[in-house]
Formats: sequence, structure tokens, C-alpha cells
Amino acid sequence: MKAGGVKRIALGLSGFVAMAATWELYKAIDGKLGPWHFPAHADDASMPHLLTIGRRFLQPEVRDRPGTVLQAVISGSWYTFRVAVVGLALGAMIGLLLAVVMERFRLLERAWLPYIVLSQTVPLIALAPLISGWGGGLRIGSLHWRPWMSVAAMAAYLSFFPVAVGALRGLQSPQAHHEDLMRSYAASWGQTLWKLRLPAAVPYLIPALQLAAASSIVGAIVSEISIGAKGGVGRLILDYFQRASGDPAQVYTAFIGAALLGLVTVGLIKALEKLLMRNRAAPGLHP
Amino acid sequence: MTDVVAMSGLSKVFNPGRANQVDALLEIDLKVSAGTFVSLIGPSGCGKSTLLRVIADLTPPTGGTLSVNGKPAAQARADQDYGMAFQAAGLFDWRKVVRNVELPLELRRMGKAERRTRALAMLELVKLPDFAEHYPWELSGGMQQRVAIARALAADPPLLLMDEPFGALDEMTREHMQAELTRICAATQKTVVFVTHSIPEAVYLSDRVVVMSPRPGRIVKVVDVDLGARTDDMREQPQFFKKVTEVREALRGIGAGAPRGVDDR
Ligand SMILES: Nc1ncnc2c1ncn2[C@@H]1O[C@H](COP(=O)(O)OP(=O)(O)OP(=O)(O)O)[C@@H](O)[C@H]1O
Ligand SMILES: [Mg+2]
Repeated sequence: MKAGGVKRIALGLSGFVAMAATWELYKAIDGKLGPWHFPAHADDASMPHLLTIGRRFLQPEVRDRPGTVLQAVISGSWYTFRVAVVGLALGAMIGLLLAVVMERFRLLERAWLPYIVLSQTVPLIALAPLISGWGGGLRIGSLHWRPWMSVAAMAAYLSFFPVAVGALRGLQSPQAHHEDLMRSYAASWGQTLWKLRLPAAVPYLIPALQLAAASSIVGAIVSEISIGAKGGVGRLILDYFQRASGDPAQVYTAFIGAALLGLVTVGLIKALEKLLMRNRAAPGLHP
Repeated sequence: MTDVVAMSGLSKVFNPGRANQVDALLEIDLKVSAGTFVSLIGPSGCGKSTLLRVIADLTPPTGGTLSVNGKPAAQARADQDYGMAFQAAGLFDWRKVVRNVELPLELRRMGKAERRTRALAMLELVKLPDFAEHYPWELSGGMQQRVAIARALAADPPLLLMDEPFGALDEMTREHMQAELTRICAATQKTVVFVTHSIPEAVYLSDRVVVMSPRPGRIVKVVDVDLGARTDDMREQPQFFKKVTEVREALRGIGAGAPRGVDDR
């Protein structure tokens, strides 16, 4: 257990080291192999040294103002994380609900599934401003529509899809004799759902949630960028890009923040998997 | 004696009027009185499982009358008047053994403590008390099947419906399970309808062996077996072999290729 953990961390680090080495090697040999350059620019403005990027984290975000880039990236990522999680939770709930309804009424599966697939082919970049436009005037009681809600809506829009598809397959996964058994007990639809279909769907839900989590982060960041919502790491990417010519390393700090955000989110789902699957047979143990 | 299962003129046609119509059961008359063990045997596809599923109200008959435990089959199912076991043990992977046995009790909304006590008693009965807190995938096939039997018995139904429950077990385990089932049935006074492919199994377990013919599935012969108390020695007695031969000949009588799908084990 312990040794395995150390090994896993070492393996993970080795991936990071390999990536870093490739980056620096690419920069180092560009132009040295002959009188030509690599097609993708390797100069310091396009690909700053990793050390420069690392140092940039610790420097002030805006010259002569308090607050480092690191602080800005962390607080931006944390903000985006929370919005994405709201979206993911909403999307997962909608996806699960759709799957339950489609499982209950087979006809609806045939009718709805094409639209659900179609929903994912709408370009995100175009949809985000549209949603924020629709939402803009919206108010529910004293609650005003805020830009972060558009971002969460986009995250939900992207994440409901894998959950709906995965959960549907999972809810349909019990074998005929399991369903017969529940019928022989005169179990109601709700009892069968709760005691058979949902538990049987868990192994299908986990990978679906993993996809959904990654999608929710992508959806959140892309819509932050496209509607310019403030506070998140998407906005940082936008801002830093505008200053990229003078400060190339800063753009990469935001990229790294966004990438880590994705990793952390997927890692959380992995932890959820450990929790939910602790009582299941190891794969391959059961026919 | 009262009949726990009574059917007359019972028929089942799948896909009636279509190109793939199958006459699975035709004009079946069968009465199973309380406390008796009845086996259904016959070539593959003769409608044994269908008959069992009709009794269980998992599929509706297309003709004839049927009563289970003195009521319509649907009512008997609603009242959990029978317990069922299939060839696949069909335990829920995510539930501990004891919680698997509790399932039918849970669905009847029995209290937590009561159903736990009841489930543990059932596990005692199938001689698996030490495995209550294990998960099904930690058990061998024979043990899983015993849990499935415990689950079928949990709600104490008067009737057990079993569809080749030992079909996937090796010969040794199988004979052991047969002895266990006889013991359990004697202890609990259950009425049993049991589907099997094995002639010795049918003879060993049953008071009556019902031999069926295929397409349309009908009863060709009923062999009464009154061999007294079942013991391991009995499997080698001449009376036992006489009954095995009687059933085998009834199966042969069905016609060319009839014994297909029936083993002599
Ligand atoms: N749902 C169904 N739809 C159409 N035909 C069916 C259906 N279920 C069973 N049949 C047909 O009914 C006949 C009897 O099937 P059944 O499963 O009862 O046979 P069986 O005696 O249990 O066979 P086996 O010994 O192989 O289990 C078969 O010809 C089968 O093809
Ligand atoms: Mg069958």
C-alpha cells in the first residue's frame, strides 16, 4: 500500500519531468541542428523557459501592486472550480434524471437520445454568449442573473451529456434474472430503481462522471473567456493574453492553473470511485 | 390436501399469429399439493422455464386457468407466496450476503432488527452463518447458490420455484446441494416445483417427476417416486435405478432425438 503509493507518485512525477525535459530540449536544440528553425516558434516570447514561468508565479501580478501571480491564479482557479462544481452537480442531476425517465419509458429513449446527442454539437463559443444574453434580463424574485450563472449553466450543459448516456446504460445493465427476481417480490418501480438499477449503474456512472467533470471545467473556462465573466481562471487567460507580448510567461501560469484544475477535479472523482466501489468485486473476478 | 399449484388447460403461445409463433405450453393440467416436491424434466426448449415463469406470474398464460396458493397467480406474487431461485444465483454484488438474504424482507418493509434475525436464521439453515458479512463474490458457486436458496426462503413462502438451481455446479457439489435441499425442505415443509435436466437429480429430490415433451410443450408422463427418506446410499439402490430408468424411458418415448438436452448424470 505504502510502497505502491510512493511508486505511483514517482510515476506521476516522471511524467511531469519528461514533459518539462521535452519542453526545454525543444528550446535548446531549435536552430542548433542547422540553418533552420522548428515550425512552432521556440523563442522566449513563444515558449518561455520553465524557470521563467516558475519565477513569474512569485512575482507581482501587476507591477508595483500587492498580490503575486500565484495568488491570482489560485484564487481564479478556485473560483472557476466552484462554478464548475455547481455546473457539474446540476448537469449530473439533469443527466441522471433524463436517464431514469428514458429507462422508464423506452419510447422516450428513442425519441430523446438523438436530441441529447445533437445538443453537444452546438458550438460552445457561440452558445455561451447566447445564454448570458438570455439570462441577462432574468431575475427570480430578488435574485438577479449573474455572469457566473451563465458559466455554471454552460458547465452543466456540457456535463449532463456523458452522465445521461452512461447512467442510461447503467440503469439498463441489470440482467434479466435480476429484474425477474425483483418482479417476483412484487417490487415497485421505485424499489427496483433504488435497490437494483441505481446500484448496478454505479460502475457506469463513475467514468461518465469523470468525463463530465473534465467537460465542466472546459465548459466553465471556455465560457468565462467567451463572455468575459470576471473572477475565474478563464478571465485570467484572457487578460494575460492581452499582455502576452510584453509578458509571455504570465500566459503560461494561467494555463498551468487551468490544467491543474482539471487534474484536481478528475482526481476528486477518482476518490469518489474509491469510496463507491470499495465493496465491489475486482474486475475480472466475476463472470 | 390443498393444492398449492393448480392449473388446468394451461397454454402459452409466444408471438401469436406471427411468423415466429411458438406454442410453448399446450393444455397443461398439473396439481401440486402442499408439501410435495415436483420436478419438471424434458428436452431443452420444451417449456419448463416458461411453465415456472407462468406460475410465478412473470409471464401471462394465453389460455387455461391457474391458481397459486389458492389465489390468482398475480395475487400470489403480490403476496410473496413463493420464493424463486434460478440457475444463476443472481446475488447483488454490492450487498453483503446477509443483506442479500434480507432483500425480500426489506421489500415487505419488515423492521431492521427483525429481518436481520430472520436472515441470519436462514443462513444458519443453509449452513453459511460465518459468511453473513462477506460479499457474494468472495463465495464459491455452490455457496452462492445456497445464499440464493436462503433468500428464496427468507420470507417463508409456502412455495419454492427453482429453475435448474444446481445446473452450473460440479457433480460433487451438486449431490451435496441436493442432500441439503432435501434436508431444508423436510425442515421447512415447503412445496417445491423444480426444473432440472438431470434424471437422477429429479428422482432423488422429487415425490413426482413430470416429464414434458417439446413444441408444443405438454406433459407426457408423471412418475411417482416414493423411495422414503433420502440418503446418500439411496443413490445406489436398485429402486432408485428403477425410477431413473422409468423417467429415461418416458423421455425416450417422446420421439426421435428426444433425450437431447437431458443428461443421464
Ligand atoms: N420470451 C420468449 N419469446 C418467444 N419465445 C420464447 C420466449 N421464451 C421462451 N420461448 C420459447 O418457448 C419455448 C420454451 O422455452 P423454455 O425456456 O421454457 O424452455 P426450457 O424447457 O426451459 O428449455 P431449457 O431446458 O433449455 O432451459 C422455446 O421454444 C423458446 O424458444
Ligand atoms: Mg429453462
